[in-house]
Amino acid sequence: MIVVNFIINNILTQASITIALISLFGLMLQRKKAGEVISGAFKTLLGFLILSAGSGIIVVSLIYLGKIFTEGFGMQGIVPSIEAINGQAMNNLHLGNQIALTFLAIFVFNIIIARFTRWKYIFLTGQAILWMATMTTIFGSFAGLKGAPLILVGGLVGGIFAVAMPAIAQPIVRKITGSDDIALGHFCTVGYMFTAGVSMLVGDKTKSTEDLVLPKGLEFLQDTYLSLALVMIPLYVVTAFFAGSKFGSTLSGDVNYVVYAFLQAVQFIVGVYVLLAGVRLLLAEIVPAFRGIALKVVPDAIPALDCPVLFAYAPNAVTLGFIGTTIGSVIAMFLLPKFGLAMILPGMLTNFFAGGTAGVFANAVGGRRGTIIATIAHGIFITLLPALLVVSFNKMGFVNATATDVDTVTAALLFAWFITPILKAI
Amino acid sequence: MLKILMVCGAGLGSSFACEMMVETVLKGLNVTAKLEHSEVTAVAGSKADIIISAKNFEKLVNRYETNATKIFLNRLIDKNEIKEKLVPVLKEKGEL
Repeated sequence: MIVVNFIINNILTQASITIALISLFGLMLQRKKAGEVISGAFKTLLGFLILSAGSGIIVVSLIYLGKIFTEGFGMQGIVPSIEAINGQAMNNLHLGNQIALTFLAIFVFNIIIARFTRWKYIFLTGQAILWMATMTTIFGSFAGLKGAPLILVGGLVGGIFAVAMPAIAQPIVRKITGSDDIALGHFCTVGYMFTAGVSMLVGDKTKSTEDLVLPKGLEFLQDTYLSLALVMIPLYVVTAFFAGSKFGSTLSGDVNYVVYAFLQAVQFIVGVYVLLAGVRLLLAEIVPAFRGIALKVVPDAIPALDCPVLFAYAPNAVTLGFIGTTIGSVIAMFLLPKFGLAMILPGMLTNFFAGGTAGVFANAVGGRRGTIIATIAHGIFITLLPALLVVSFNKMGFVNATATDVDTVTAALLFAWFITPILKAI
Repeated sequence: MLKILMVCGAGLGSSFACEMMVETVLKGLNVTAKLEHSEVTAVAGSKADIIISAKNFEKLVNRYETNATKIFLNRLIDKNEIKEKLVPVLKEKGEL
């Protein structure tokens, strides 16, 4: 009994071990060789701990930005980063274990729903599932759920989203790809459909973005980390100027306060880089296992894949979508505080991936005019939704960050606006 | 063993989806290879024999020096396109 209790209390409460065990079972179910099972599980463990290390780096940088921003501008400036939210939930709120189990539960519910309904979508974008699990766990536990109900409710909500979002997007994805072989598995779908709706209203689909010749100089925007730097470095440096040398020097030690701000901005990017490297290791064994099992249970499954698979269908629309969404998010940054909401800084990772995909969607139904107008609206939309969560996040003790990926935000709002009041009423 | 590296912007989603497709194609051809996916900068210093990426990443991939044979796909997850472009390279490398 002592041994069992020790295992339950000291080992299974470690999220890194839980997730390694999930990977271990996945590999065993696929009847891999013992060596592969052990090395796979170990790599998953490694991935999880690298992810935590990355999030630690991000948090240090965000705390610094929060201080100089408040000093410089007299208000809170929130960085939208689902990676930061995930890291803080795991490290600071100690929800890692529940997130890991919910992550597994979403896979299971996804397979069950796809098996028994006519929506045959299998959601293969692992990091998106991880972000969804993060948000349902945070908001589920904030609603007062604990233990198995927390994981099951989160798994069910996440599982429904994993099937419903590809299903909602499919009519337009079919238009883009010309087939029904693949679906879109990316939890920014609410934003894409919003963009497509606007584009349909204002656009003219006979004039495609792909007939345009865009300047070659814009190609560097494809480089994820470079475009992240393009916004984060000026943001930190300008904020440090506004905070002033006196205040800045109290944080920067021996280093010049502007140089320090520059280095902290780079640290933020380093954190994202490390965190995503961890996610890559974490998913490398789990996603193929999930795919193998899902294809056995749901033979006619349609794989829902990550958004860049659509980029090749309309590369100009991707660039315009990124630029439009960034313009929209800058407009929203200044606009939202006027309505009493927090100031949300532009989130470049989402602007790139979600903005690019929104561009492809907009072009499919509304051509170039639709793309330009609708993606600016998209930027405002995807800034507004996370802004609604800031009060809750602050209350829970998150540092200076809010979520991105609007479907996960929608799930969180579902918890905050419906599930929490219902639970409180019972 | 033959080593193939798939790359995309963040090295998470589409390179991974592509890797799973390449795996299926290789199985059909009866070729074994070590497959990995990562983000574009991983091309620098990679020991891969073949690098596969999407057309839109061509410029970024070409920034790095590498001895690997590069394949750029219009559709990252199109089995036919992967097979069409991979088979000549595999023949050239003596794997087929």
